[in-house]
Amino acid sequence: MLGLTPGEWQAIWLTAKLAGLTTLILLVLSAPLAWWLAHTQSRLGDITAALVALPLVLPPTVIGFYLLIVLGPQGFVGGRLEDMGLHHLAFSFEGILIGSVVYSLPFAVQPLREAFSAIPPRLLDAAATLRASGPDRFFSVVLPLARGGMLTAIVITFAHTVGEFGVIAMLGGNIAGETRVVSIAIYDHSQAMEYAEAHRLSAILLGFSFVTLFLFYAINRRAMSPLKP
Amino acid sequence: MRMLKTLAFAAAVGFSGVSAADEAKIAAASDLKFAFDELKPLFEKQHPEHKLELIMGSSGKFTQQIENGAPFDVFFSADVSMPRKLVESGKAIAPVTTYAFGRVVLWSAKVDATKLTLDDLPKAELRKVAIAAPDHAPYGARAKEALQHAKVWDQVEGKMVYGENISHTAQLIDTQAADIGIIALSLAVNDKLKSKGGYYLIPEDFHQPLEQAYAVTKHGENNKAAHAFAEFMRSEDARRVMRHYGFLLPGEKVE
Amino acid sequence: MLKGHLTLRQGSFLLESGPFEIETAGVTVLFGRSGSGKSTLLRAITGLDKHTRGTLSFNGERWQDGAWRLPTQKRDIGFVFQDAALFPHLSVRGNLEYALKRAPKTGGPGLESVAARVGIAHKLDQDVVTLSGGERQRVAIARALLSHPRLLCMDEPLSALDWRAKGELLTLIDELAHETGIPVLYITHAPIEVERLASRVVFMANGRIERIETLREALARPDSPLFDEEGPVSVLEGAMGQTDADGLTPFGTDQVRILLTGACGEKRSATRLRILARDVSLAMDEPRGVSILNHLPVTIERIDPAHEGRVTVACRLADGQLLLAEITAFSRRQLSLEPGASAYAMIKSVALME
Repeated sequence: MLGLTPGEWQAIWLTAKLAGLTTLILLVLSAPLAWWLAHTQSRLGDITAALVALPLVLPPTVIGFYLLIVLGPQGFVGGRLEDMGLHHLAFSFEGILIGSVVYSLPFAVQPLREAFSAIPPRLLDAAATLRASGPDRFFSVVLPLARGGMLTAIVITFAHTVGEFGVIAMLGGNIAGETRVVSIAIYDHSQAMEYAEAHRLSAILLGFSFVTLFLFYAINRRAMSPLKP
Repeated sequence: MRMLKTLAFAAAVGFSGVSAADEAKIAAASDLKFAFDELKPLFEKQHPEHKLELIMGSSGKFTQQIENGAPFDVFFSADVSMPRKLVESGKAIAPVTTYAFGRVVLWSAKVDATKLTLDDLPKAELRKVAIAAPDHAPYGARAKEALQHAKVWDQVEGKMVYGENISHTAQLIDTQAADIGIIALSLAVNDKLKSKGGYYLIPEDFHQPLEQAYAVTKHGENNKAAHAFAEFMRSEDARRVMRHYGFLLPGEKVE
Repeated sequence: MLKGHLTLRQGSFLLESGPFEIETAGVTVLFGRSGSGKSTLLRAITGLDKHTRGTLSFNGERWQDGAWRLPTQKRDIGFVFQDAALFPHLSVRGNLEYALKRAPKTGGPGLESVAARVGIAHKLDQDVVTLSGGERQRVAIARALLSHPRLLCMDEPLSALDWRAKGELLTLIDELAHETGIPVLYITHAPIEVERLASRVVFMANGRIERIETLREALARPDSPLFDEEGPVSVLEGAMGQTDADGLTPFGTDQVRILLTGACGEKRSATRLRILARDVSLAMDEPRGVSILNHLPVTIERIDPAHEGRVTVACRLADGQLLLAEITAFSRRQLSLEPGASAYAMIKSVALME
């Protein structure tokens, strides 16, 4: 199909798996974090916000480099894992998944934070007076009102992870079925002067990215309802 | 807390670092690209129980990755010092076996390199000259030595572009991003590149010998396919392919 | 009965209620200028602010004890916010169902009947953003009622509405308070809303509860904060009578009859009449040959000290209700008015409260 080799399909499947899991993990992690950031007044909030935004300005190589040090066999995390008889996380799918989660964190937190900030606190007070508990308020008021931000977070996180290269190049080691995602495969093909293969995968990424963004803007325009109280 | 989460997560998804005994991950210097593209099917035909996965890149990068625990089983370096270093640090197991001596050539997809020598490189019409990064790619280091030997380094240093590895360097020249450059003979003799332009073979006494060696890594210690492939590299079938790609083999004379 | 002593700091503002006991029956109004701490006190009472400290109990049930706080959702309260706070992602029906789903299943009036009672039955399937201000508050009231509260709180629910919607909603709130018997805590800074609704007034100033008294007590004292804007006011209670051939409608009790003109006759349910003291003058003899319709015999009960040349005279009507008259200190001397004297009060203008 599409004239792709099994190796290329593997890279595409791996990329989709990586982006999908990254998005899932980030949604779960980011929702409480973004909620806290949207409502805290403490200095700690500013520090956390800055930390979360770091991947926006840092070169991916810096993130990849530090993660390699931390997750590798001599690293703080990787070393402990080895001590426990487990395997360290550099050059593994789990490793690049952690890398992707770190790298895409601001892309999930930022839209959620904005969406949460836009919800009038009065509405949560109102829900509380109508006997809704904390979790009930989150699911019955916050989530429905933040759906635009959720959609943004999901799409941007997924697309950003698909487009990730530097962190995975540093941390992944280009292993088929494990860490050779599409962007790495393209780099590999182009270095090996396999232009036809590089073209095919690049065109697929280009098409995917455009369609995603197009759908995103189209859906977002309809889904966003006014949040006026 | 974060650490605990990571552990819990890692434990939950499980580990896939240890590969099956009959599949070997071969990290190979990128001058071996075309030669190994031929050797892989040949080996797998002779050893149907084994499978290979080739990962091509610069020797320096592989060394750093193996130091950091990359799950490669055999490392074919473009030099001999890097596998030795890995043996010393316990990341690879002795012996370090020399499998070939490489050669460097001047090659271009734009001008006829067969009519040129290193002395032509300072010429103004050659605006960009590509070599592999000398600090981590052995072919780059040898290319720099050759240019220094020819006493043109100082004149051409300003118009140098550096490839990430020798295959990337060839790509820079192939796409004419660089007008000319120094690449591995093993790449230049492949039909794909030969059809773009001829090459000038740089005399071997211009630089230190490109002695290339491999070692089985600590990771591949118990991998049967890894050892089988290491053994296969000494077979006549493998040597014939290597010879075809312009490598001088251990125990053979320059012709 | 709400009993307690609450403190709550919000930025530079400090609520320090002082010990209080508020009888919760009928409508209790929290009255004070903006910034006096009304809303803060209500947030503290409803448990909406986690920084609240002190003690609070409702009918003997512990709501606040030190830093411990019974969560708002467990207090069985209803709350109507100034801006209605309707859920924008739900329809009108969705907003009402939100309350009903979480209310105890005690089989009270259903969604449709409550919606009909507050006058939004025809709006049920509309998007809440399409509603007018008055309609939004009606939905908010219906939503609060459907959660079967034991105490209904309202934080300036009318302040964003035009005068017509204000009047309609005041009537609705008054009627609902009577029909449902649910005690109401109502915040306002408008004396006219106090006079219309209150059975009890909690006066607040500078973050403190200054005084808690019945509306009658509040209206009987000359320095009442309710008089700050328009001067002293009397509120007479009574019922509407039948409109006669001249188009006049009597209002009052058996002993006191005040004739109303014009469209007043249509407001059958009105029970309170509002009379500004400056619209009441006094005569020693029964007036004859004057155009003023209403003159009532009174007994002078009290004369408050002169202020800017004017005095307020508290007059007892035949049925025992109090009517205030504001006259000049000069006239008072001329007429030699003293407590205990009989006189006639002439009422120039009244406003039927509905």
